This record gives sequence, C-alpha cells and structure tokens, in this order.
Amino acid sequence: MTQEPKLRNGASHATNSGKPCKATEPAFGNGVRDAIGLSLQAHFDDIANTPVPDKFLVLLAELEAKEARSES
Amino acid sequence: MKAERSAIAPTAVFRDRMLREVPGLRAFSVSLCGSFHKADDLVQDVLLKAWGHSDSFMEGTNMRAWLFTIARNTYYSLYRKRGREVQDVDGMYTANLAIAPSQEGVMDLADFRIALAKLPDEQREVLILVGASGLSYEQAAEICGVAVGTIKSRVSRGRARLGELLGIETTSDIGPDQKAISAMHSRVTVPSLS
Repeated sequence: MTQEPKLRNGASHATNSGKPCKATEPAFGNGVRDAIGLSLQAHFDDIANTPVPDKFLVLLAELEAKEARSES
Repeated sequence: MKAERSAIAPTAVFRDRMLREVPGLRAFSVSLCGSFHKADDLVQDVLLKAWGHSDSFMEGTNMRAWLFTIARNTYYSLYRKRGREVQDVDGMYTANLAIAPSQEGVMDLADFRIALAKLPDEQREVLILVGASGLSYEQAAEICGVAVGTIKSRVSRGRARLGELLGIETTSDIGPDQKAISAMHSRVTVPSLS
C-alpha cells in the first residue's frame, strides 16, 4: 500500500526513496545518477522548504469554515 | 444524515492533510510551470479543485499522488498553452539554496535548474516525481497516465539529457536501480479524478 510522505522540514534532507542522503559524499565518484539524484532532491527540497504563502492557509481555512457552516 | 455527509464532505482533518502537502505541491508546480508566480496560481487552483472533489479521494491512498495528479492535469489543460516561463529561471532561483555551491561533489543548484528547465516537459516531470518527490514508479505512471516502462525510459532519457546539458559523463551507471526493480514486482493503486 502507499505510504504517506512525511512532512518535510528545514532540518531533514533525507530522500523519501529509502536511500540515505549522501550529500556529504563526492557525488561524481558515485556516478552521474547519484549526482543528478542529489541535485533533483536539493532542487525540490529547496522549494518545499520555503515558507508557504499565507494565502494558501487562508484559502483552506475559509473553505473549511464554509463547510462547517453549511453542515450546521 | 450527518454521519453520511461527513464521509463525503471535506473536514478539518482533510484540510490538514492537504496543508501538509502544500510545500511538496509547490515544488512540483514550480518544476512544471517554471516560476513561483505561475506555480502559486496553479497551487491555488489545485487546492480549490481538490476541496471540491474531496469525495474522489480514496481513504488510505496517497494524498500527495492525488494532489499531483490534479496539478498535472490542470497544468496541461490550462497553463501550458500560456507558455512556460523559461525566461524566469534565473530570477526565480536566486533565493535560498539548500546546498552551498562550495560543498564537495554537489553540482551548482542554479546551473542544475537551468538545465532542468531545458528538458522536455515529459522528462522533467518524471524526474521530479520519481527522483525528488518520493513517489514510486507506479505512482508516477498513474499520475502521468502511462505505463511504468514509459516512466522508466523517460527517467533514463531525462537523466542522460541532463548529463549532456551539464557536461558530465553519462555513459556509465545508468540502469535500473532498486526502485525500478521493486516496481516490477508490485502494483499500487492511485485514484484519479473522474
């Protein structure tokens, strides 16, 4: 069955693929695939670690409040 | 009846689960759109659609895969025709780099992103799905609506193309990894919007 991805945070840099993060090893020595894999992960995590704009929190709160009102 | 309705209507729990996926959804959307500006419009559309179609989310399945499916469908049906903002690539990535360029063995993230932006959409998206977002080959196949083998070949070609663009050797060490091998032995069901 599928597993729920863990919430990312700024401190964690492990991949979700089950492989340990190898950021401290020389990537090129491990081949092009590792170098590209690490960079893909760094690219993704860098964006995912930027603060979520408030407008999304507000939007979801509004949607939920509207739902709660329609149920009552 | 209240019990029946709560099984269908989105709840605070559902909202919180969506909220947890927003950072990853943004990262995927930026990768698709090529800019934060367009990506955040896309994220907003996805959140609204997901909320409106919460009854199509199957409990026990992967929320990230479901949201990414909506994002991808929305991107291709609405956003792509407006043109990808490749020209924004330099500007969008000047912010916080997760890995210092001086770190040994890790290629420069800004260079990497410029190369990534030059890939065909179909190669870039699978590299992000499989190589960065933590989803499996099967989930990527469901999201993109193609066979697992197609995903694998796109990953392979995308990696090789990235290597070329970055000027690094790509002739060795490209083959099925553990994830690809395990993909051949299991199947996972991911819901899609009907």
